[in-house]
Amino acid sequence: MKEKINLDMPEVQPREQRLGTIIAWDGDIDELHRQSDFIGRAGCDRNAACKLCELRGPFSQGSVCSEQMVECQAGNVRDAVLIQHAPIGCGAGQVPYNSIYRNGLAMRGHKVENIRIINTNLSEDDVVFGAADKLRMAIDDAWTRYKPKAIFIATSCATGIIGEDVDSIAREKQEELNIPVIPMACEGFRSKHWSTGFDATQHGILRQIVNNHPHKQEDLVNVINLWGSDVFTPMLANLNLRVNYVIDLASVDDLARMSEAAATVGFCYTLSSYLAAALEEHFGVPEVKAPMPYGFAGTDAWLRELARITHREELAEKYIKAEHARVHPRIAELKKKLKGVKGYVATGSAYSHGLIQVLRELEVKVNGSLVFHHDPVYDSGDEQEDSLGHLLKHYGNVENFHVSNRQQYQLYAFLQKVHPDFMLIRHNGLAPLASRLGIPAAPLGDEHIAIGYQGIINLGETILDILARKKYHDSIKKHVTLPYTDWWLKQEDAYILAR
Amino acid sequence: MSKIIEQERYTCAIGAMQSVVAIPKALPILHSGPGCGMMVRGFFERSTGYAGGSTVPCTNFSEQEVVFGGIDKLRLNIENSYKVLESALQVVFTGCTAGIVGDDVESLAKEFRAIGKPLVTVETTGFKCNNFVAHSEVVNAIIDQYVQLFIKDNSIRSEKNAVNLFASIPYQDQFWKENLRTYKYLLENLGFKVHILFGPESGGVTEWQQIPRANFNILVSPWYGQEIVEHLEAVYGQPFFKFPHLPIGANETEKFLHGVLDFAKHLEIAIDYDNAAGFIKHESAAYYEEVDNLATFLLEFRYGLPNHVHIIHDAGYVVGLSKFLLHETGIVPKEQFIVDNTPEKFQQAIKEDLKTTSNKKNISLTFEPDAGKVQDIIRGISHQGRGLIIGSGWDKQLAKEKKYDFLSASVPSPYRLVLTTGYVGFHGGLRIMEDIFNSVLSTYK
Repeated sequence: MKEKINLDMPEVQPREQRLGTIIAWDGDIDELHRQSDFIGRAGCDRNAACKLCELRGPFSQGSVCSEQMVECQAGNVRDAVLIQHAPIGCGAGQVPYNSIYRNGLAMRGHKVENIRIINTNLSEDDVVFGAADKLRMAIDDAWTRYKPKAIFIATSCATGIIGEDVDSIAREKQEELNIPVIPMACEGFRSKHWSTGFDATQHGILRQIVNNHPHKQEDLVNVINLWGSDVFTPMLANLNLRVNYVIDLASVDDLARMSEAAATVGFCYTLSSYLAAALEEHFGVPEVKAPMPYGFAGTDAWLRELARITHREELAEKYIKAEHARVHPRIAELKKKLKGVKGYVATGSAYSHGLIQVLRELEVKVNGSLVFHHDPVYDSGDEQEDSLGHLLKHYGNVENFHVSNRQQYQLYAFLQKVHPDFMLIRHNGLAPLASRLGIPAAPLGDEHIAIGYQGIINLGETILDILARKKYHDSIKKHVTLPYTDWWLKQEDAYILAR
Repeated sequence: MSKIIEQERYTCAIGAMQSVVAIPKALPILHSGPGCGMMVRGFFERSTGYAGGSTVPCTNFSEQEVVFGGIDKLRLNIENSYKVLESALQVVFTGCTAGIVGDDVESLAKEFRAIGKPLVTVETTGFKCNNFVAHSEVVNAIIDQYVQLFIKDNSIRSEKNAVNLFASIPYQDQFWKENLRTYKYLLENLGFKVHILFGPESGGVTEWQQIPRANFNILVSPWYGQEIVEHLEAVYGQPFFKFPHLPIGANETEKFLHGVLDFAKHLEIAIDYDNAAGFIKHESAAYYEEVDNLATFLLEFRYGLPNHVHIIHDAGYVVGLSKFLLHETGIVPKEQFIVDNTPEKFQQAIKEDLKTTSNKKNISLTFEPDAGKVQDIIRGISHQGRGLIIGSGWDKQLAKEKKYDFLSASVPSPYRLVLTTGYVGFHGGLRIMEDIFNSVLSTYK
């Protein structure tokens, strides 16, 4: 039996400890899948699983930290306040996350407002003598300014190293204010991969917000997502199901009622793994264990599993049939236009598996991809969630598959090998280099764009749009100087420094 | 005790890595947690430059380095930075992690200097100070650890008409590029050779090496950067001329330029003073021609113009914009807010500088880095007539709530793209008028 998720501990266990997450690897999908050994690793003895060898190099560029993921999750809950117990610099991330929050609110039809994050602005004295009173004051200020339904507290590298006792202050204030006050351990150095920040937020919500005495609603489905446009409400309406979007843009009540739902789904196992598994294990909400809803095979299987759990098989079959018929003609047209085009995907881990599936449905060639990390297994340990395996089985191998935690210098060598016509990018930082190399890149602002049957069409249209911008990127390429040395630009092996 | 901050308008010390990004072909190297560089990038937006943003090498501190120290990892990262990245100057920044665990970065730098690599290090733990302060520390570190190495070829005060200019902080002042270009243009036309040190108009590291040659320094700032000119006075004996707010529009630009000329005269610098005065006159005449055109519009506009303004900005902008708006557009500065965490010893002088704006009107001024609190204060204020808020992207919502006009002129700046816009000098003043009255016109049905 696999170990149950432990919600008794105040701090979430980092991903590398739970799942064996790696951040650097070089090879193809076939080999990565073999080394990941999803089933073996999911079993009782994780050490017995095949070894997944991580490359460790002597050079790295900045990436992202867990605290930022907490900012963009806990900080984006509508009627809560997030306190960053941190120096003012950790608050710099508020700027992009406010922008995403505001535009996300608008996209979903909520009232637009500024993000509510308060930073305790730690000084040298605070680091030397501790800043417990300042944290108390910040909680009081959060309460007077906003009367929130919950207060989240994010730790920082500084408070982590000095050993600030955030937990007991949170407990004290929770009793005093009578709302959940939730500490989240998300120090930047705590995990080698920032996705542990997702888990830290989810852990806190599971412990302190989710309703322990739920009144079950048989038509409610938790959808674990980010800020994407509302594609799930109309889709699930065909199955007579209602959507409870979490965590971003949700209200505290939405989070509390997760335990009332009939099922939990996600669009990316990197994001949803921990929360969905824990909701099933601790609150009896079944997780839809299926391939992610990308491409025909994935979407079919995902809908069927959701239908099975919620007892709506007939409705699902009807919807699947109608949708296949609806999208096929347009997809056939898109395939003609996209034939021979080569694409490259650089996104988070599971999300990349999904996008490659959609590209291959469109007959776009994908012979390379980079993911920011790789989880050899997900928290549920269920083989149906083996997204890499699903990709391999239904869509074949990807020869150049790299795990590279936002290491821009490596991207150059990756791209030289596969020479794509365009790139799909989900996170900031890589697109500028692609552009300097004359490769058009689409930053996927709306992460729901490629989901389901309509997603195949959406992505196809987006690619046609991007390809039309080729000239612009060529002109950038012609006129910029790359900051890399000639020696580095000549390297064919992006991992040469690590070998 | 420092207080909590909501809706921050500056970042921590490590944010001063942008001052290195702003030097052509220079490279910041971070010895910090994995998120620090990305946070800085996110705060300033469009701030990558040559080798900033995701290009910046970083040791990405993990638990292992917290426990055992991170010096070895930093050594490897620096060695490979030379291999992988083409750069003319390398500056190592330390984050909270390296600071608290006490990594001896300076000793490591000595190893590199011993093999002819002039590495600069600067301590920028996030809890030490903000980026307004750290900017000066970065510049002084480069002067002491790099510029000093080239002193033989750059004798102290050897170029009589050369000046070093310290004004806009790169990226923290979103108009820094054009503002610096403007200062250079104006001062060159007076007859000076100007080292502006940052941005495309600077001569890169060569210009930095020539800092000692300058005869004197110019500081355009109420407080940030003062440590640089004081340091240069101490090490090279260069005196400095300080102009305590941004010179925006004709009045203050003329005052600024004449101030520099008087200072040069006092130092007996041989430039053509008549020619310089002629240049100022010419620029001023061109300015007033536009102001005259605009006056017709202002007087005939039927549907209301903003008559008062709240500015939420750093001290240099608050004072500079207040003077400009009152005297050159007729918009009255009401309650003003300085959110740059001005050190107390400078606050009195700033208050007095603002006071001299008008002998009829007393402009209320508050120093408050917690802009969340500032917004609450403004929410509670009301004045007759159409209001204007000049602030950062954070304030768009407030302006909407109050039905005020809004001009985004400070970081963070999610609603405004700035490429070559500048706000100082004659042209800068005209540009602000365009920006304010364009937003008014956009409400015209």
